[in-house]
Amino acid sequence: MRSVLIALGIAVGAYGAVLLWENPPVIIMRILVWALVGIVLHDLVFAPVCVALGFAARRLIPGKWWPPIAVAAFCSVVLVFLAIPVYGKPGMRPDNMTVLDRNYPLGLWISLAAVWACVPLYLSWTYWRASRPGRNPQDSARSR
Amino acid sequence: MKTETLRGTAVTARVGLALGVAVAVCFVTGLISHFIQHPQPWFFWPTRPVWLYRVTQGLHVISGIAAIPLIIVKLWSVWPKLFERPIIGGLVRQIERLSILVLVGSMLFQLSTGLMNIAQWYAFKFFFTTSHYAMAYVAAGAVLVHIGVKLPVIRRALGESVDDLGNPPVADGLTRRTVLRGTWLAVALATVVTAGQTIPLLRKVSVLAPRSGQGPQGVPINRTAIAAGVLRSARSPDYRLTLTNGSTTRAFSLADLQAMPQATHRLPIACVEGWSVEAEWTGVVLADLVAAVGGSRDSDVRMISLEPPGPYSRTVLPARHARDDQTLIALKLNGQPLDLDHGYPCRLIAPTRPGVLQTKWLSRIEVVP
Repeated sequence: MRSVLIALGIAVGAYGAVLLWENPPVIIMRILVWALVGIVLHDLVFAPVCVALGFAARRLIPGKWWPPIAVAAFCSVVLVFLAIPVYGKPGMRPDNMTVLDRNYPLGLWISLAAVWACVPLYLSWTYWRASRPGRNPQDSARSR
Repeated sequence: MKTETLRGTAVTARVGLALGVAVAVCFVTGLISHFIQHPQPWFFWPTRPVWLYRVTQGLHVISGIAAIPLIIVKLWSVWPKLFERPIIGGLVRQIERLSILVLVGSMLFQLSTGLMNIAQWYAFKFFFTTSHYAMAYVAAGAVLVHIGVKLPVIRRALGESVDDLGNPPVADGLTRRTVLRGTWLAVALATVVTAGQTIPLLRKVSVLAPRSGQGPQGVPINRTAIAAGVLRSARSPDYRLTLTNGSTTRAFSLADLQAMPQATHRLPIACVEGWSVEAEWTGVVLADLVAAVGGSRDSDVRMISLEPPGPYSRTVLPARHARDDQTLIALKLNGQPLDLDHGYPCRLIAPTRPGVLQTKWLSRIEVVP
């Protein structure tokens, strides 16, 4: 099973490499550079920045607040990623007004605001749940 | 709870499984779209249900966007492995690292170019379709190799509980369950803010979708009459639609076409870029025109645009679609004469075909012998 998967994977990947190889050398270089730049940006810029921010946030924010804040921060990162190709409308052409036809800055800020509005809502809900008489927060955590 | 214990194969394998599903959907739907545009003798593409391509291509873009939060979490969960010692190691370790390099590089390539393509942002200086197609095999192959290598680890991790059994659960802090729930939430959010370009129900909340779904006569456009260079030829009083079948040739003016029996169908227009809308199209049934020049129902039909020769100025419609009674040479869209940007004086609209092959500003229809 494993060797079949690996052999099939190598064959499929090699077919892709052959297809890429049909390009002129300068195009192959651009494609490879694009793929490598993606890795470098993730491994050596995006990931370390996230680690640094997470490290700082943990020292500033009480532990009880971490779960909703971490989730909201991650959702914000995803929204920002999705907004990059549309925010400044870099792909817009003057002859076609039916593409990139939304107010993306407004959309991004509204969606970010909606995400962060959920943090106090979630926290108040957990406080309310923990403060109800006859409930031990440790039990409720275990039963999840 | 420390980040080291938040990370772990229990999280990696679950997020990886979801990512694997997203990649598989992307790959299969992408291949379908490719083979519709580059037909092979073995490839069968039905004409019903009429919304089939709308669904497959919509899924292609939706699953690609869903993969973005998944790959972020997946890479986060294994990032410390990048610095594991030995950094160089033996040959086996180098091969494993190389396979991961190919996997991550090809996946980031596919997701970044795909996301940019739906926003028509061509900052990369290579042709999108061919490189996205070729790299899809590299990514799919790398995923298969990765699953093959990691299969025992994946099996074990999926059998384990998500909760860190070594530590008591922390009531207030972060847990692995938080990580997983946060991931699913982010996937849902990414879908909601973009999928409205193909799911009408989400249109208002898809604030980051490249298309609002608006346009002349309620339908967006990809190629405008200006871009196609047909402003003058499409409005010329000498306009004729020429039909040929071997030596038989007939020319139809717009009035001739309007005088023929008209049919109206609700058909979606679904773009390779993942947006789609349904509209009401009125025009002449293509099969009637083919019959008018004595064409066979088993012949493919070539559609040629007024647009000067280019990659999309002519297409071949397979016989199955050409004889379909819902395939129209449309003269009207949502009750009005076609807008110039929608292909005035007439255009092809067929079920289950990508928008790019629904040739606009038709000048010639040839029955392929």
